[in-house]
Amino acid sequence: MISVRKVNNRPLNFLERIYLVEIARGLAVTARHFFANLLGRRSLTVPYPERRIPAAGNSASRTRHRLKARPDGSPRCVACFLCQTACPARCIAIEAAEYPGNPVEKYPASFSVDLSRCVMCGMCVEACPEDAIAMDTGELPGGAASRQELRLDKEDLLRRVPGETPARGAANRLAEGPGGER
Amino acid sequence: MTTPALNTDLLLFAAAAAAKVLLFLGGAMGVTALLTLAERKVSALMQDRIGPNRAAIAGLTLNGLFHPVADGLKMLFKEDFRPAAADRLLFALAPVLALAPVLTLFAFIPFGDYVMLFGYQLDLCVADPPLGLFLLLAVSGLSVYGTFLAGWASRSNFALLGALRAAAQMISYEVTLGLTLAGLMMVYGSASLQDIVRAQGALIWGWIPAWGIVTQPFAFVLFLTAAIAANKRTPFDLAEGESEIIGYFMEYSSMRFAAFMFAEFAEMLLIAALCATLFFGGWQVPFLYETGFMLPGGAALELPQWVTALMQTGAFALKTLFFCWLQLLLRWTLPRFRFDQLMSLCWRRLLPLSIANILATGAALLALR
Repeated sequence: MISVRKVNNRPLNFLERIYLVEIARGLAVTARHFFANLLGRRSLTVPYPERRIPAAGNSASRTRHRLKARPDGSPRCVACFLCQTACPARCIAIEAAEYPGNPVEKYPASFSVDLSRCVMCGMCVEACPEDAIAMDTGELPGGAASRQELRLDKEDLLRRVPGETPARGAANRLAEGPGGER
Repeated sequence: MTTPALNTDLLLFAAAAAAKVLLFLGGAMGVTALLTLAERKVSALMQDRIGPNRAAIAGLTLNGLFHPVADGLKMLFKEDFRPAAADRLLFALAPVLALAPVLTLFAFIPFGDYVMLFGYQLDLCVADPPLGLFLLLAVSGLSVYGTFLAGWASRSNFALLGALRAAAQMISYEVTLGLTLAGLMMVYGSASLQDIVRAQGALIWGWIPAWGIVTQPFAFVLFLTAAIAANKRTPFDLAEGESEIIGYFMEYSSMRFAAFMFAEFAEMLLIAALCATLFFGGWQVPFLYETGFMLPGGAALELPQWVTALMQTGAFALKTLFFCWLQLLLRWTLPRFRFDQLMSLCWRRLLPLSIANILATGAALLALR
């Protein structure tokens, strides 16, 4: 059921119509905040790039990218270029390479995300067939002093988030041979 | 042709006047620059934020104290754009015409009584014309030229509309501004600002200082309202409407735009100084006279004259800063009026009230005589 709250818009009385008393009350509110903060109450904001407030735990926001890793630490990414193709901001640059003696998969020799161009749309995550790229680090990008700092390389991207069980890939299975676990 | 004899008195007067202009105007402009920072810092504190604190010289930020410098430098290096169709002369003249009257007006503000220097009596006021209050209104009325020419010389429809709005607002509130001051002239019997301040040193019933706020409390509210409106600041900032409306200086950029902003902030300081001068005793400190403190109970404390003068100038500065702060507080507290509300407030509320104030003052003066 829709709850309805009836707002009682009574006409202003004389004191309110001449504003002055209400202005004084408003000034009292702002002045109270002014003096409280002047005398050392901490502000609600933080000096951003140096200090960051963690995103709320249940936050479903898209945050800084990461590349998921396999148990042996290699990236899950198979350098298929789907994310690079899907990216509307063209901020992903991949160089593919092959594992020696592995005809099944490629791997990214370099994988970079240019956060200064990224629009945080999440298309790369949607496009990835290997579920290798994710935007779940909880870090809000930005606040850098140079463009170079906003360019994430493979080393910056490759990481696990706490509580994640790394999934194995075709290359792992191949390396373990036919007798290896599934 | 004979060489006129060197007039020492005239030379001394000129030197003293130049020194006072340099000191007072320099001080006023310095405080104005700091007001641009104060505006942002005060609003930050009121809204539980930190405010600007990044501008640094050699890694030293002093909690943002260098921001006015950074702002000024940034403005200097911006492109000075002028629309192709703009009137070249008037477009260049408008910022000057906006800024010059405001800076001129500081000359009429007494910032102290007098001080004895090397046997000379130095009045602590750049100029004290006998009709200072009228001159004040006349010169401040000139600033509407800067505003209007800015819009007109830009040859831009939006700027012109903004200028029309601003001019209508400024001219309307000048009327109320003038009428509120009439009551003061009636009470203190002079139009010289220095005389008005001196008269405010008197005591009513032996213990209440005869400040303007005591004798003309109603006029103070009207004056502050009208002055803020004439300065086009929140809650009457429709001329500029920072966030949504396009104002008269739309086509201005770089230092020319900064001149308009600077004029606004300087006028804020001026309004604060005027509030202090006209309604809060100017440089008067309660019970402090030339010779020292004389409390109503009979207790007295003798002070050298220069200490008195220093305390009085300090009191004036403190009062002025308080009203600057009050204007900042008002700005970040009140929402903006609509234009019809603005006009109706002026012509249907403030103007009749200010006339009623004059009549009531006259009646009270008659009854008390």
